[in-house]
This record gives sequence, C-alpha cells and structure tokens, in this order.
Amino acid sequence: MFEPSNLLLAVPALPLLGALLCVAFGSVKELRKWAHVPAVLCAALSCAAALTVVSNIGEADVHFPQDRTGEPISWFSVATATTKLSADFGLEADQLSGIMLIGITFIGTWIVVFSIGYMHGSPGYPRFFAAVSLFLASMTLLVLADNFLLMFAGWEGVGLCSYLLVGYWHDKPSAAAAARKAFLVTRLGDVGLLLGSFLLWQMAGRNSFNYQFIFEKAAEMVNAHPYLFPAACLLVFSGAVGKSAQFPLYVWLPDAMEGPTPVSALIHAATMVTAGVYLLARCAALFTLCPAVQATVAVIGAFTAILAAYIALTQNDLKRVLAYSTVSQLGFMFLALGCAGPVVPSFAVTAAVFHLFTHAFFKAVLFLSAGSVMHAMHDEIDMRLFSGLRKKLPVTHLAFLCGAAALAGLPLLSGFWSKDMILESALEAGESKRFGTLYYLLFGVAITTAAMTAFYTFRAYFRTFWGPLKMPEGAHPHETWVMNIPLLVLAIGALAVGIVAEPFTHWFSHFLGHAKTLVQADAGRVAEHHLNWPLMIGSGAVALLGIGVAWAMYAGNSQSADNLAKNLKTPYYASLNKLYVDEIYNVLIVQPFLMIAGFCKLCEAIVYDLVRLVAMVPRFLADLIRPLQNGLVQFYALSMAMGLAAIVGYLVLVAK
Amino acid sequence: MNSLEHTLQQAFQLAVPEVALVGVACVLFLLGTARGVNRHLAGFIALGGLAIAAISHFTALPRVPGIETVTPLLGDKFAMFVRMAAFATGAALVLFAWNECDDRRSSDYMACLLIATAGSSLVGTANDLIFLFLALELVSIPTYVMLYLPGLQSKKGQEAVVKYFMLSVMSSAMLLFGFSYIYGLTGTTNLAAIQEILPRLVAGSESTTAIIAIVFVTAGLGFRITAFPFHFYAPDVYEGGPTGTVAFLAFVPKVSGFAALLKLFAFLGSAHAVANEFVKQAMMLFWILSAITMTAGNVMGLLQNNLKRMLAYSGVANAGYMLIGLAVMPTQAYRGIDEAVVATGPEAIMFYLLAYGAMTIGTLTVISHLHSPNRPVETVDDVAGLRETHPYSAALLGIFLLSMIGLPLTAGFAGKFLLFMSALAAPAAAPMRDLFVALAVIGAVNAAIGAYYYLRVINAMFLRTSLSAPTPRRTAGPLWVTAIICAVFTVAFGVYPLPMINLSRAAVGGL
Repeated sequence: MFEPSNLLLAVPALPLLGALLCVAFGSVKELRKWAHVPAVLCAALSCAAALTVVSNIGEADVHFPQDRTGEPISWFSVATATTKLSADFGLEADQLSGIMLIGITFIGTWIVVFSIGYMHGSPGYPRFFAAVSLFLASMTLLVLADNFLLMFAGWEGVGLCSYLLVGYWHDKPSAAAAARKAFLVTRLGDVGLLLGSFLLWQMAGRNSFNYQFIFEKAAEMVNAHPYLFPAACLLVFSGAVGKSAQFPLYVWLPDAMEGPTPVSALIHAATMVTAGVYLLARCAALFTLCPAVQATVAVIGAFTAILAAYIALTQNDLKRVLAYSTVSQLGFMFLALGCAGPVVPSFAVTAAVFHLFTHAFFKAVLFLSAGSVMHAMHDEIDMRLFSGLRKKLPVTHLAFLCGAAALAGLPLLSGFWSKDMILESALEAGESKRFGTLYYLLFGVAITTAAMTAFYTFRAYFRTFWGPLKMPEGAHPHETWVMNIPLLVLAIGALAVGIVAEPFTHWFSHFLGHAKTLVQADAGRVAEHHLNWPLMIGSGAVALLGIGVAWAMYAGNSQSADNLAKNLKTPYYASLNKLYVDEIYNVLIVQPFLMIAGFCKLCEAIVYDLVRLVAMVPRFLADLIRPLQNGLVQFYALSMAMGLAAIVGYLVLVAK
Repeated sequence: MNSLEHTLQQAFQLAVPEVALVGVACVLFLLGTARGVNRHLAGFIALGGLAIAAISHFTALPRVPGIETVTPLLGDKFAMFVRMAAFATGAALVLFAWNECDDRRSSDYMACLLIATAGSSLVGTANDLIFLFLALELVSIPTYVMLYLPGLQSKKGQEAVVKYFMLSVMSSAMLLFGFSYIYGLTGTTNLAAIQEILPRLVAGSESTTAIIAIVFVTAGLGFRITAFPFHFYAPDVYEGGPTGTVAFLAFVPKVSGFAALLKLFAFLGSAHAVANEFVKQAMMLFWILSAITMTAGNVMGLLQNNLKRMLAYSGVANAGYMLIGLAVMPTQAYRGIDEAVVATGPEAIMFYLLAYGAMTIGTLTVISHLHSPNRPVETVDDVAGLRETHPYSAALLGIFLLSMIGLPLTAGFAGKFLLFMSALAAPAAAPMRDLFVALAVIGAVNAAIGAYYYLRVINAMFLRTSLSAPTPRRTAGPLWVTAIICAVFTVAFGVYPLPMINLSRAAVGGL
C-alpha cells in the first residue's frame, strides 16, 4: 500500500479528499468552524507523501500506474487505423516534478495553517478551505501528469480555483471583476496551450499525448515541420504567458490581489503562476530545438521583468508592490528559460527552476507578512496610512525583512544565488553566435532590474516598518502563534534554502539535471559549475545600491522622495498609473469587443425570433397528432393494426 | 461429451436461477394467505429470493456448452448480461415497491415482481421461439396483476389495467403470428438454426413472406419497447398505474423487447452477402420506426403537464433513439475486419438500455417519494420550488433529468453519443449510408426538442416558487436506496463509461 507508486497517487488524491470533506463540513452547521481540520491534515499528509516519493526518485522515475507496459487507465479512447485520441490517466514523478511537488505541498501546508488565523470568522470559511484544497489537488496533478491532456486538466483546475479564490469576497464588485479578469485573460493563453498540445499530438503521428512519446519524436518533428513546430512551441508558450503573467497578459495578476492574502501568497506568488515556468522546463526538449522561439521567450521575460519592476517603483499598495515584483521575478525565470540552447539547457533551466523554488519561499513569506500587516491594520494595505510598525509587529517585521532581503538579492541569501545563476545564463548566452548581441542586451536589462528590485522591495519595507508610528483608525495590532509559526518557518526557508541547495554543493542542479527532458535537451553537452566571482560581486553591489537608495529616501522622512517625484513628473506618473497598460487595453481590445458584443446582441434579437418561430413547429406538429391519443382502447388497437398494415404495405409494395 | 443428453441437461441447469425465483414467488403467494405477514417480511423474502438466484447463477453454471442448434436455452455472454441486468433491476424495484402495497397484498405483489424478473432474465437465455414467447409472456402476465394490486379502488388504475391487458394480448397475438411464419419458413423453432437457415431463404422467392414475418414480430415487440404506433397505451397506463409498477413497465419490457429483437434479427448481418435487397428493406423498416418513434415521442412530450405522462413519451422517444442501433446493426457486416469503431449499434443499445433504466427508475423514485394522497405530485406545477423544500430530492431529480437531456458527464450523454456515433460510423460500403447520417441528425434534433420539456421541470424545481402548500417532509424509505443507486450509476456511467462499454461489447460480441 505504501509503495511509492501508490503514494504518488495519494499526492493529488489527498487534497481532493480534503476538499470534499471541507464541503461536507460546510453543510453541517456545528462543524463549519472546524472546516480547516481536513484541509490542514490532507495538505500535511500530501506533503509527507510527496517527500517520500521524491526521496524515491533515484535513477528511475516513479509512475502511477506502476506497470507502464500494461493498458493505461483511460478515461476515453477513440482509435482508427491512423489516429488514436485517448485521454489517459498516468502520473509520473521525475526530478522536475519532484522539486515542484516539494515547493507546492510544503509551502501549501504552511499557508493553509496560516489561513486558520487569517480567515478566522470570515463568512464562507469552509468554502475557502475547500477551494484551497482543490487548488492543491489540481496543482499537484498539473506537475505530476505524464501527458499534455492530463496536465491541461490540472492547468484548468488551478485556473478555476484561482477564479473562485480571487472572487472569494464575491459581494465586493472589485473582487468579482478581478476574478473575471483573471479567468478571461489567462483563458486567452490556455487556448494557445490547447492548440499547441494538439499540434504536437498531430505532428508526432496522431498517437499519444504522452510527454515521453512526443519528446522522443522532437528531432523528427522539427525536420518534417520547420515552421509548424516552432509555431506549436509558441502556442504552448502563450499558455505559459497567460498563467505566469508575462507581458502582454500580465494585467490580471495585480488585480488578483483582491483575493484573501493567503491566496495571493499560495496561488499568485508561490505556485500557480509558476506553472508556466514548469511547463517550459518540462518542454525544454522541444524548445531548445527552436533558437528563435527561445530568443522570443527570453525577450518577453526580460521585458516583463523590467516593465513590472518599473511599475512597482511607485505603487502605494503593499500587496500590489509584491504582485508586480512577482511578475518581474517570473520574467527573470523566463529569461533564464529562454537562454537554454545558447547555454547548456540543464544549466539555464536549473537557473529558472532554482529561482522558482527560492522565489516560492521568499515571496510566500513576504505575502504572508503583508497579510499579517493587513490583518493588524484592519484590512488596510495602503502604505500611506501606516508606518513604523516594527515595534508593534515584531515577528512580522522580522519575517518581512528576511523575505525582502532575499528578494532584493542580498548576498548569501536565497534570492542572491538563484538570481545570480540567471544572470550568468544570460551573460553566457551572449557569447553564442546567433542572437548573441540580443542576449548581452537582455543581461543589461536584467541587472538594471535587479537594482530596481532591491530598491522597491526596501522602499516598501522602510515605509511599512520604519519612520514614525502611524496606524489607520480601528487598527489593533496583534500577532497570533498560528500565523507566526508559518511566517518563521518560511522565513528560515527564504534565508537558507538557496545556500543549502546549490552554490557550493550543486545538489539542486545535479538532481534536476537527471530529469529526462533535460538530459535530452542537453544532447551530451555538460554544464560547468563554477562561481563567477566578478558577476557575484557585481550583482551583490547592485542589490546593496538599490537598498541604500531606498534607505536614504525612505528610512527617515520621505521628503527627498517627494521632491524627486515632483522633479520627474512624467516617469513618476507613468509608473504610478502602471504605464496606462490597462487603459490602452481598454481602448484597443475591450472597447472593440464591447462593440462587437453590442452588434451580436442586435443579431441575436433577430435570430431569437427566428428560433422561436422554428420552435413552434414541433408544437404545431404535436397539436396535429394529439387527437390520436384519445384514450379509447379500441382506437388504440385499431391504430396498431393500421400501423402494421401500413408498414407491411409500404415494405412489400413500395420499397420493393 | 457434447451429446444430446448433455445438452438437455445443461439447458435445465441454465434455468436454475429463474426456477429458484419462481419457487420463492410461490412461497410468497402462499404466505400471502397467512395472517400477520407484513410488507417488510415480503420485501425481505423477495430480496432473499433474488440473492439466491444470483448465487445459483454462479454455482449452477454449466461448464461445457451444449449443441447450439438443439438446446432451448443458451448461456452465452449476452444471456448473462441480460440476466444480471434483470436481477439488479429486480432488486431495485423490490426496494422501490416496498411500501407500494398494504401489508395484505404486498407478498402477492412481490411474488409477481419476482416472476416477471425471471421472465425478463429468460428472454436473454432463450434459444427457441416458443421458449422466447413464453419468457416474454412471463413478463407480461404478472404485470397485469402488478398494475392492479396497489390501486384496487382507483378508477384510473382499473382503466389502466384494462387498457394494458387488451393491447398487450393483441401485441402477443401479432408476435405469435410472426413466429408462426418464421416456423413455417424454416421448419424449426430453434433460434440458432433459424439464424443459419433464414439468410438462405430470403435470398430466394420467400423474401416477401419473410418480410411479413419480420414486420409482425417487430410489431409485437414494438409494443413492449413502446415504438410508434404501438405506444398508445403508455401515457394512459403510466398516468393511471401505481408508480412502482410504472417504473417496472418503463424499463423491464424494454430490456426484454430489445434483447429479443437483437437475438431474432442478428441473422440480418450474415444475410447481406446473399440477399442485399432484403437486408435493405429490413433496415428501412427500423429506420422508419426509429425516426417516427423518436419524433412522435418528443413532440407529444412537449404538450404534457403530467409528469408521468411526460415520462411515458420520454420513454417512447428513448425507444426511438435505441432503434437507431437496431437499424445500423446489419451494416456491421460491411465493415473491414480490423476497422476500429467507437460503438456498433447493438453495443450502443445495451449501454443505453442500462443508462435509460437508471435515469427513468431514478426519476420515478423521486416522484413516488414526494407523492402523497393529500398533496399529490403529478404535474410540473407540483414540483415548483422543490429546491427550497426538498433540496436533496431536487438535486437527485435534477441529475436524472440532466441525464435525460443528455448533458455531458451523465450516462444519458454517453449513451446518446454511442448511438449517434454508431449511425455516423456506418461503413462506407453499407447501403443507405447517407440515410444513417440523416438519422443521426434527426436524433440530434429530437434531443434538442426533448431538452425543452425536461428543462421545464428543472426550471420549475429550481427557479420557481411553490404554488401551493409545500409537500410535507417524508422520511427516507427503502426507495431512497434505489434512488441513490440510480444516481450513482447515472453519474458513474457518464464520467467513466469505458468499463460499461466494454461489458456491452463483450455481451453482444457473440450475436
């Protein structure tokens, strides 16, 4: 029973069970306030199962069902001589899924624990835990699926949960609108992903959606379809762009902060938004065959990184700063992914996944600290309304500081190491023949962004925790152990996980480098692991510079910041108003669509009447034959006999 | 030892479960005369009888098959499928009718139910025209009693019984007439032998006689499956009959009718090589019956306000859908050997039968549960606002009706999908291929028309408010077990239909 293969199934199944139990708890009045119990238990058990599974990933991957040669568990299957379309259920844990699993279930468990305190007493308490559990089930399914279709099921599942949780306070119009926006914008990308998956299925011989099957045909496909194959990769990438909030589809993520803060931490920082990074890492064997696509990925990543960082410079809403920072950090990861090819793929992808891993910790802790602040400040999150909270909220302050330092890339902390690997990838990619200059340029963008990151992170930190004590009315700052313990656990992770995992031991990259997709993408090239001292010193200096500027401007009074804003009006307002991207989208996309919708409504009115007219035909027919049903048994018998006679007559005389 | 003696001996062995059922039924008849026997005892004995039958099915199964062209009973996979379906339905209906009768008459009712169950199980096993006819009558005759017993006093109930009795007798006459022609043509009553002989005969001058035989047989069985124009009894009988018996009537005769049709007309597939014209005529017959039946059922269903009448017409429409499978059955012979297909006609019929049974019996359980003499639940208006007063009943009824509409992830969808696909996937070499595509389109249009009257009920339950005093709360009885089993089947077959499809495929593989 406790075979790794069965435990693998338990990883997504337990949170699913938890979700069902939460719903069941919700329907019994007395149990409603205990709805967190199944959620926490199932998340923790799922985490234990995940850790066991990961420890079993040695040379061989773990599969469910264990016997891969037999018939797969199939939801449905349609087959002809040349085509086989079957939706199979198969789980596979390799090194890449394993890393993702640890992040999802470990961080997820602590965030669920945090939510007990945070969500206490809010209406729909069981609904929250049911949705979070369902999210964990979907997310683990996403990373464990061994084929594109099942992965897509998890992909849509996390989208749904995100929708439900962003709109958790659904009677608040802004929350409802944000939920709708998140769903629709990511859906744009999802369509691309689905199309891309089917294109790959078609090019690989219309046989299977299995990753392994498709990856093995990658070289064949790229030769046979020199244009279609990159197009399929771009379509898959568009799915990642939507889910991982990259330009031009990043606009949903900042708005998604309308959801409860633990949700922002779990879904919109640590796990779901990294699904796109996971997807590209998973498909590294495909993407590395298309240098132009990889360059596109890198450009989009770097552009998103600097764009979001620029917007984050002036935001006043603490959670929005963190949201834009998430977008920006995801951009870093895509930059690294885009370097795979020019750089040895396993190195570049490891950089991206490593950053994903460390980012999950420090961003989760930042969001949870922000949540703690918000909880204490009577649901107020505007940094202009409070300051100097370090004495009032000591644990939160400490946790936030750890997270912020890691995010800023302060030397020796988690974020420093992973960001360093990304920068190194970009720098090394600059030496390649094709697109070399481009990658040098992207390196420049990345290092600038790193400085901006350090600045805006510490700007938020200083404005919240330093300066004179100021609080909005009605706030009663307090901290509870159920919220503090997760904060501290994750804070320790944020500080230490980076240095333990990679820079000196190279444990992380060795582990991940054995993943089949990366071995295939490497095609025999070997990644060199060395510490690039000039780069490390440089990026450390840049981080310190950013922090220093923030300290100078915000640690005391913020007079100098106000003066600077007055002098640089245009860039300041451009940043404050998010570069007017939402407004531009509104004019270019939303308004034309509304106009089309209006036109469709007009057409619909006409069609509606036409349909009504058609719908009258069956009714008319019924009125015609109704007299036959007159209740007289002799008439019924006669009808039977007449019917018989008519059929015999027709078949014998006419149809002969 | 494949001797004649062995064959006859194993024929008896094959009927052991049914003999056991009839034996228990006799015990129940005798008990009915004793005092102090209540309906709970009768119900438990009936369930025990079904359990004994199911156990003896596994213990008394003959290991060596007999000579096919001699034995009156054949224990192939098809027979076992029908038997299991019959026993499972029998158990579900015993629970359904637990409180249908008062204590005095309940044991008689249960006995009749067991005999009818035995009859429908024997239809699948029968390998002889006479045996088949007897098995079909074994279903019909207890039905008259079951229609009559629960509502002795009600005028409507009596009218329903008389109507059903008269027309049923007439249909049996038609069936027997058709059988006599078949016997006259082939000189044998053994079905396996008929499958061999008939194709050779229809190639020659006997084709007209054979067509007449087929039409009469179809007419006789058409009554049982409520095909147009033999369906007229259904709305009146459903409306007047007791709900438990209506559930029986909606499903069991359809199973036995379709089982008999599939067994009798399996020869059409092998006849195509010698008598193309004849096979085409037979396909035309089923094509017309299918198209008219589903259209008539759905169109008349639109006008109904009475829930049970509506279900009667829905039953007619569903018979029409299933006839699609019968119409395309002969085209299977035109298919290449290794040509894969989503579903053949007979497979789709077997699947849809079970799906239809689950959703129809389920719907009737909920109606029966809500109904009480003081606050009848008969019309669409009576279930208005059900969501507020009886949320669980409303949810269950909602599931069943959504399945009737054929929404994805329900058994109704999977069944309709298979049926329509069987028509669309008719092999290119088969005659009337375009007509089958048209039949699938007619089916789809009909499904849309049908959705209207099911949605009316859902709309009333979930969106309207109660018009009169809310139905009183009732305690859940044994009926609920049936309702929940039906709901589980409806959802499970819809979400994961593959195992059931494979079972159906195995069942019809030997035809």
